[in-house]
Formats: sequence, structure tokens, C-alpha cells
Amino acid sequence: MATLTFTRHLDRYLDCPPRSFEAATVAEALERAFDENQRLASYILDDQRHLRKNIAIFVDGHMIRDRRHLSDALAPDSSIYVLQALSGG
Amino acid sequence: MLSDEQLLRYSRQIMLPEVEIEGQEAWLNARVLIVGLGGLGSPVAMYLAAAGVGSLVLVDDDDVDLSNLQRQIVHHSGRIGRPKVESARETLAALNPDIAIQTLCERLSPQRLEELVETVDLVVDCCDNFATRFAINRACFRHGRPLVSGAAIRLEGQVAVYDPRQPDSPCYQCLYREGEEEGLTCSESGVLSPLVGIIGSVQAMEALKVLANIGRPLVGRLQLLDAHSMDWRTLKLKKDPQCSVCSQVG
Repeated sequence: MATLTFTRHLDRYLDCPPRSFEAATVAEALERAFDENQRLASYILDDQRHLRKNIAIFVDGHMIRDRRHLSDALAPDSSIYVLQALSGG
Repeated sequence: MLSDEQLLRYSRQIMLPEVEIEGQEAWLNARVLIVGLGGLGSPVAMYLAAAGVGSLVLVDDDDVDLSNLQRQIVHHSGRIGRPKVESARETLAALNPDIAIQTLCERLSPQRLEELVETVDLVVDCCDNFATRFAINRACFRHGRPLVSGAAIRLEGQVAVYDPRQPDSPCYQCLYREGEEEGLTCSESGVLSPLVGIIGSVQAMEALKVLANIGRPLVGRLQLLDAHSMDWRTLKLKKDPQCSVCSQVG
């Protein structure tokens, strides 16, 4: 199963600890997570269901290619990491 | 040609085979722009000054406030109410009178930023807002100047190097897209003081590496720190072929 991890910054606000899901794409994994935590969706996706501009997603340490449809494929044991831009200096 | 005093002052780094005289001369001849003299800019400026980066340009439009002093270690209590750039200049000059320091107490317009970036060898982004981060990124890629970018809040930090001189280097806008204004500041969200010290020190290290062509800078990689667990994570960045900033370069 693919493991979905949100940066601590997001976890603190949205109560989204690491979870594992059967999913073939990033979009599928996120949908599973949104089913369990509806607040997550509006924080991660915009009203077009595209990735928000201040969010980045990495699969197995590599930045995803498809920010619009989140179609990047997952391996059965993929690790998905979702992070948010930080502006503090 | 290094003076005897410079040879002694910088001896502990000159003795490193990665540095030697050539590396020290590269630093002494370098001009670096530091945007933001807060939590990140403090260690960045102090380490670059101490290491002998010959010319520093400090930009910040803010004054020193009591609430800054918990983490902005280039300032101290006697400087409250004074411009941060002037406070920093005094600290850095005391640390190393061997270097030149230019200060600009202003919020840079995009045009001013462009002019300034063109005059330096490297930019270190230590600012606290997204609009400036994207503007710095654009200016660096337009003028072919490497950018060391850092950000920190609460117990989390991010560092990366974007180098337009390398054709496959992504830029800040390949990672995040411009337009989302969900910026949280340290004054709103809090920050544990050593976090900015850690991230700022990494930025200083990367700046020195890039300037002296040492090792493997964080180009194409994003380094994340979760200080809560003290976990470091390295993520690989890709250049976005559609990027409106860096796809025009290289």
C-alpha cells in the first residue's frame, strides 16, 4: 500500500497523520484521504480540483509532474509526501 | 594576494583542501545580496562576513523590535528601534572589518531588485513573504545569478539552491506557483529560535559552496527539516518545461 504523509505543518492544522491506501495514482490516494478528512481537500486542492499553488507533492522523493490531474502513477509501496510553501524568514 | 592578517584570519578554512587560497580569494572577491535581516538573514550575514565574503549588500525595510531578539541574533537590545540593516552592519563590521557592507533600508520594487541582482554574484533569500520570494527568483533567473533560498516557521524549515547557470536547474516557481497568498509569518505562527539558526547556517554553507565551487550544492534538491523529530528529508526537484521563469533560461 502507498503511504501518504503530510508535512507536520499541515498535520498540526488538519489532523492528518500518515496513512496507507491502495491507490494507483496520486489523485486516488488523495481522494481516499479526503474521504476520511474532508477539510484536507480544500486545503490541498483549489476549486478546479488542481493542486494549490503553495502545495507540492513528491512521490518516492521526486516531485510529481502532473499538478492539474495528479495522474502520477504509484508503485504498491510508494511514499507520497505533501508539503506546503513556507514564507517565514 | 592575501595579506598576512587575512591568511591568519581565514587560516582554518584555507587549510581545507576544498578551499585553499583559491577558494578564499573567490569569497573575498564575491559580492552577495542578502534580502531580509531577520531570523535567517542573521546567521547568513554573520557566517558570510566571518568567512570573508568581501562585499555584502543588506536589504531590509524593518526596524529592530524587542520581539525579534529571541532569534535574530545579529541584533541586540541596544538596537531596538533602529533599522535592521544598520544594526546588522555594526555587528558584521565588528565581526570582520575586512569586508565591505552596503545597506539598503527599503522594500525593493521589482525594478530596483532587478538592478541590484545584476550587480551581485549570488543572492540569499531570507525574506518573509511570497511576493518577494517570487520576485527574487525571477530576477535571479533573468540575470543568471544563483539563488540560495531558505524559509522557516514553527519547527519546520526548507532550503534549496536554484542556479540559472545550470541548464537543468529548476527554480522556485517550478516548486510552488505564484498567486497563492497563504503566507504565515513567524509573528503569527511562532518559531523556535534555533530553527532559523540551523536553516540560515545551511544557507550560508550553500552560498559559500556555490561561490567557491565546492562540493555539491543543493541544486535540484529541496532539503526539509522537521525539527520536532529532527528529521531531515531530501526531495528531488525537476525543472518544469512550462515554467514561465526558468524555461526561458538555458
